Amino acid sequence: MRELLADAALQRLILQATVETLYMVGFSLAIALVCGLPLGVLLVVTAPGHILPQPKLNAALSSVINAGRSIPFIILLFLLMPVTKLLVGVSIGTRGAIVPLAVAAIPFVARVVESSLQEVDPGVIEAAQAMGASPVQIIFKVLLPEAWPTLLLGFTLTAINLVGYSAMAGAIGGGGLGDIAIRYGYQRFRDDVLLETVVILIALVQAAQSAGNWLARRAAKDQRRFNA
Amino acid sequence: MVEVKHLTKVYTTPAGKVTALADVSFSVERGEIFGVMGLSGAGKSTLIRCLNFLERPTSGEVWIEGKNLATLDRRELARARQGIGMIFQHFNLLKLRTVAQNVAFPLEIVGERPEAIRARVRELLDLVGLADKANAYPHQLSGGQKQRVGIARALACRPRLLLSDEATSALDPETTQSILALLKEINRSLGVTIILITHELAVIRAVCDRVAVLEGGRLVEVGPVAEVFSRPRALATRRLIAISGLTPARPELASDVVGVV
Repeated sequence: MRELLADAALQRLILQATVETLYMVGFSLAIALVCGLPLGVLLVVTAPGHILPQPKLNAALSSVINAGRSIPFIILLFLLMPVTKLLVGVSIGTRGAIVPLAVAAIPFVARVVESSLQEVDPGVIEAAQAMGASPVQIIFKVLLPEAWPTLLLGFTLTAINLVGYSAMAGAIGGGGLGDIAIRYGYQRFRDDVLLETVVILIALVQAAQSAGNWLARRAAKDQRRFNA
Repeated sequence: MVEVKHLTKVYTTPAGKVTALADVSFSVERGEIFGVMGLSGAGKSTLIRCLNFLERPTSGEVWIEGKNLATLDRRELARARQGIGMIFQHFNLLKLRTVAQNVAFPLEIVGERPEAIRARVRELLDLVGLADKANAYPHQLSGGQKQRVGIARALACRPRLLLSDEATSALDPETTQSILALLKEINRSLGVTIILITHELAVIRAVCDRVAVLEGGRLVEVGPVAEVFSRPRALATRRLIAISGLTPARPELASDVVGVV
């Protein structure tokens, strides 16, 4: 098997796969944040007793998000194929994988945002209301800024989960490190390739976590809170 | 300045209806420091929250400067609230904003220009004696300093009424004295009417002109501080005096108090 593929060519493939992984994770993370952040905010402010209580909308939103989160990703991949084709023109490949990855991450981001915003001191929200702040002002001047360090950690967690999910995208020819690890490392018994992809994945996750921790610590003015 | 008429607040809980305030009426004159005293659970917090509609009364009316708050729409209520400052037991400062940014917050809410905000913030920090802490964050301040930031913030939009919700209850006695002195100073020099709620009789005695005593959601006594404390009529008032360790002016009342407690 080894002679079928020169090592230099294999290294190029691994490099390309790393780029593909970053591309899939980056794009799907961006889409998930753009869609998940407003959903999470809505989930918090429409809860009973919050600044815009809408119990029915809140319950409906919560059910939809739970439904989204309960579908296993590998099934979502195939379930979404027609939608993906409609949105990006193809249902397979790296571009095709971005749609299911984003769809899987949106409800996750919404819950991450929800739990972060719920940590904001209700007393501070009350103080803003007492000053005559509108709900929009409370969202943009109190909730999001005060929760920002926690939100950054949540987004980091989302990115890391997406790296894991992206490995499954190989199943629809999505490429990326997971795909290389399965096709070359496992199916062609190249333990060295398997090991290399795993090492790269570990490095990516470590880098993401370190960057996230650093950003969160910098954003938290009281540094003691984030010295883990 | 403030007129409260037949204010009633009933909470509906899974366990049933709870009456937090029952038919409370009183009025506060311009320039007055008015205290509301009561034990925890007496309805003080609910009462002060009804004065700026953080809590909507179940029935009754709240009039602030000739406006019935219940008749205001969302925008008018926001505007009315901008004319009412409020300070809190736990300060409720934004922890990711500096002292100066916290004080600037209500000015941003009303859409003040940045230059005007800067000038006003400087003025306010001078007033509360925190000019040197402008760039500190709340976690770097003592309790008394945090409450000074809270006061500066509450005064930012030049309110004519200041609501104080147990503002000194989380502070040590010495710091309490300095915060009370500041409130008195603000009342005198700026003419701000102050309504404060507290469970500490010493706070009422130190700064208030008149006091109302709340018990079980009912207003049991209102009057000038000296009068209420020297000739308490309501049982609840005597009980509060007894708990605080102050001796009533008339010895014959002492026996009543002992009987009550």
